[in-house]
Amino acid sequence: MVSKVTGLKKKHRIAVAWAQDPNTVGAVHRAVEDGFAEAIMIGNPDEIAIACRKAGINDKLFTVVESSDDHTSALDAVRMTKNGEADIVMKGLVGSDVFLRAIMDKENGLMLPEAVLTYVGAIEIPAYHKLLFITDPAVIPFPTLDQKIAMAGYAVEMASRFGVDKPKIALISASEKMNRHFPSNADYQKMSIMAKEGKISNCIMDGPLDLFLACDRKSVEIKGVRTPVNGDADILMFPSLESSNPFYKGLMLFASGELAGLMRGTTKPVVLMSRSESEKSKYYCIALACLMA
Amino acid sequence: MVLKNLNDLRRLVEGGPRKKLILAAAQDQHSLGAVMKAWKEGIVEPILVGNRESIQSICAANNYDITGIRIVHEPNIEMSVEMAVRMVSDKQGDVLMKGMVGTSTLLKCVLNKEWGLRTGNLLSHFALFEVETYHKVIAVTDVAMNIAPNLKDKIAIVNNSVACLNRLGYKIPKVAVLGAVEMVNENMEATLDAALLSKMNQRDQIKNCIIDGPLAFDNAVSLISAQNKGIKSEVAGDTDLLLMPDIEVGNVLYKSLVFFAKAKVASIILGAKVPIVLTSRSDSEQAKFDSILLSAAASRW
Repeated sequence: MVSKVTGLKKKHRIAVAWAQDPNTVGAVHRAVEDGFAEAIMIGNPDEIAIACRKAGINDKLFTVVESSDDHTSALDAVRMTKNGEADIVMKGLVGSDVFLRAIMDKENGLMLPEAVLTYVGAIEIPAYHKLLFITDPAVIPFPTLDQKIAMAGYAVEMASRFGVDKPKIALISASEKMNRHFPSNADYQKMSIMAKEGKISNCIMDGPLDLFLACDRKSVEIKGVRTPVNGDADILMFPSLESSNPFYKGLMLFASGELAGLMRGTTKPVVLMSRSESEKSKYYCIALACLMA
Repeated sequence: MVLKNLNDLRRLVEGGPRKKLILAAAQDQHSLGAVMKAWKEGIVEPILVGNRESIQSICAANNYDITGIRIVHEPNIEMSVEMAVRMVSDKQGDVLMKGMVGTSTLLKCVLNKEWGLRTGNLLSHFALFEVETYHKVIAVTDVAMNIAPNLKDKIAIVNNSVACLNRLGYKIPKVAVLGAVEMVNENMEATLDAALLSKMNQRDQIKNCIIDGPLAFDNAVSLISAQNKGIKSEVAGDTDLLLMPDIEVGNVLYKSLVFFAKAKVASIILGAKVPIVLTSRSDSEQAKFDSILLSAAASRW
């Protein structure tokens, strides 16, 4: 993933809201050092300086903009991104709710008109033969049909930036058998038909599928299920935040997975990660944002 | 006592009398292999109920030595399942295992009011995972049986699992109720149920365990994640049992641990008079064996 970005030979300017936490400073610094980013750190200059010193980082590499509190820093970061002073906006130590409110503000925010605000992640798992895109691990608790269709579109767009032309999308459930008890399954059936009819384009889509049929060709053979995804999924669509969230966290903690993710439905890339996320994950997110900018 | 890995289950069965495992519709190569291994290693004493000829020919073809193993001949599959269940009911068996028969047929017999294995409790699935990067085994429920449990069902599922963990030597297991977030969110029912379960536990309405929730997956299994978020919890980072909000969540997590994290897993059905081993064809030989081992350790008869 990173090689794709450093290959771009273009620097993107990142505005970081309430920038004084060590993981954020470290991640941004790496992106600057690697030559694909310039950083505008918004927050308390003293604390940013302290965070940099602690991490052994030269804070002269950053432009520091003073801001009085976390809320104001979010508004400043969004404003600067909106008026073109920055290309990407990133959440630092500010809470997600405060940050998102600034993004979603109708007048001063970064929403595309009528767009579905959602999240697409790219996850690297040693036990899988390629990069796996997932949606939505962070924003929409129970996506509707329209939201799912939008999510698929965003994921396809991201996959294509990574050179995956006609990604295979698996619509994930507990089983490949239609089950009326799962609210997701009716949507999945409609989506599979829409994909077949070309109404959802540039991808191969099938579901419901369980995780094995989506990602393991051997299971497809054993079960004898005919599916165009064929154990070779590029994108997993999840029925709910409840299922996607433990999925990616489980992979990060137990399967040495690394996730990079981005908000979608915005005019400019938005880097939003949990405050507790590692420096490496945050760095990957910045790289992804630069790729999508 | 805490189990570090699935092999630790052996300590619970060694020394004691061998548990009797009744394999219903035993003419099944997939389960016979694991049963024979468990027999050879002294874990269980199998009783094979089913078509004698088919059982013998499968065993001959695979070089399984069945000298000394009791075979109860019943060629009709449904009758053989009924016979197996009745034998357990009569305390001739400590564990029931599914052979060459559909899950629904077996469960129908298990739930028979006259001669089945009902206890009045809900049946639930209990899986025990060994993941390299976690400091002990972690139980997950319910990933395969109850589709969308309500609060009442969740209480029953926790009670089943806690009773099982108690038998495995956990005096006060730590139970994390999983949510997508660790905050109570009125739009996510799972988080509301989690909060209620925690409170019921504090009030001693759910006993013999410590329950906390909602916890997001990372907080449940990683102390660092929990500390980063400032969560104060006795359970966070040291979870023994993870309660899933529903089967879609559980199933995906279960499969991702097996497939991507190369986890070892043992699983049984709880809530009947004895543990039931319900492995599927796609389970590995190791998983089938470990499930038998778990059932023997969890059986109380």
